[in-house]
Amino acid sequence: MIPRSGYSAIAALCGAVLVFFLAPGAAAAAESGPPAPPPGAPEGALGNTAAVALLFWVLALATVAGAVFVITRRNMVAGVMGLVFTFFAVAVLYAMLYAHFLAVLQVLVYAGAIMVLFVFVIMILNKPEDEPWALTGLVGKAIAGLALLYFLMRLGGVLWGVREKPAASGAELSPGGTIQSGDFGSLAEVGRVLFSDYVFAFEAIALILLSAVVGAITIARPGSGSSSQDADEGAAVGDGERAPDA
Amino acid sequence: MSDIFFHITISHFLILAAVLFAIGMVGVLVRRNALIVMMSIEIMLTAGILTILAFARLHGDMGGHAFALVLIAIAAAEAAVGLAIIVAVFRSKRHVDLERLHHLRD
Repeated sequence: MIPRSGYSAIAALCGAVLVFFLAPGAAAAAESGPPAPPPGAPEGALGNTAAVALLFWVLALATVAGAVFVITRRNMVAGVMGLVFTFFAVAVLYAMLYAHFLAVLQVLVYAGAIMVLFVFVIMILNKPEDEPWALTGLVGKAIAGLALLYFLMRLGGVLWGVREKPAASGAELSPGGTIQSGDFGSLAEVGRVLFSDYVFAFEAIALILLSAVVGAITIARPGSGSSSQDADEGAAVGDGERAPDA
Repeated sequence: MSDIFFHITISHFLILAAVLFAIGMVGVLVRRNALIVMMSIEIMLTAGILTILAFARLHGDMGGHAFALVLIAIAAAEAAVGLAIIVAVFRSKRHVDLERLHHLRD
């Protein structure tokens, strides 16, 4: 649990970062206008203006803050709200990567459907937890934490080494050269790719969703399988909608 | 030095995705509530999608978007089945505390 003062610390941190990026960014933008991209550089994610940098850092901070909020909250509804916040910020990040359609999907599926599912389940099992942290096996977890830290450092090094494609002066053209730069990430392009090259994956989605629906109903149906005796002795959860033949 | 801050590259997105994934993994490792663990898994999946989209942008390849679509569908299916399991476990055990759910372990 973050103590109460943690909120103000987070707010102060956000404010400091904002000020740090706003001040020099605004000055640079005022004196030089939009900076010309260096020759031979990248298609880059974006035009590299101060506004883009500001947008990215604000969104990155929002995403990370939301995710940390999720894993530190004791109240599960607060956690879900943090998760929705994270997903909205990530959707904007998708849009910054020219994946407009997937940004829309992220909001619809993740922030819409999946989060509603979570809220409903929280409603069903509304039980305060007595001890939110699993503080057993501390040695193993400390070792795991150190290993994770090391892994992240190495991973960060590798990821930082990823440069834009060196010879990509042809900007956003794919190796096949079929995608016009304006079309990248558009709904039409996603549809074309999905129904030509990846049509099997598309059909697999249909199968996966069908089996997931059937499986979820089978698992969660009251009185199904081996849990029926326990469910009988359990309290009234789900007894109301029990099927007569179950 | 300030170039790191003002010149946003694909690496920024990749490292942000790695940080998100790490936060999700910490949540999976240290939380006891099965629902919070599910939320952490969702965070990790989102980080994976962000990585795929960043690389799709880097290579100008729309295939990454198809993969991201598949991943979103799989995340939805996984959430449905996982939450169904959690509800079933709660019905029989009256709690979803992962530290006390060790009937398959011993």
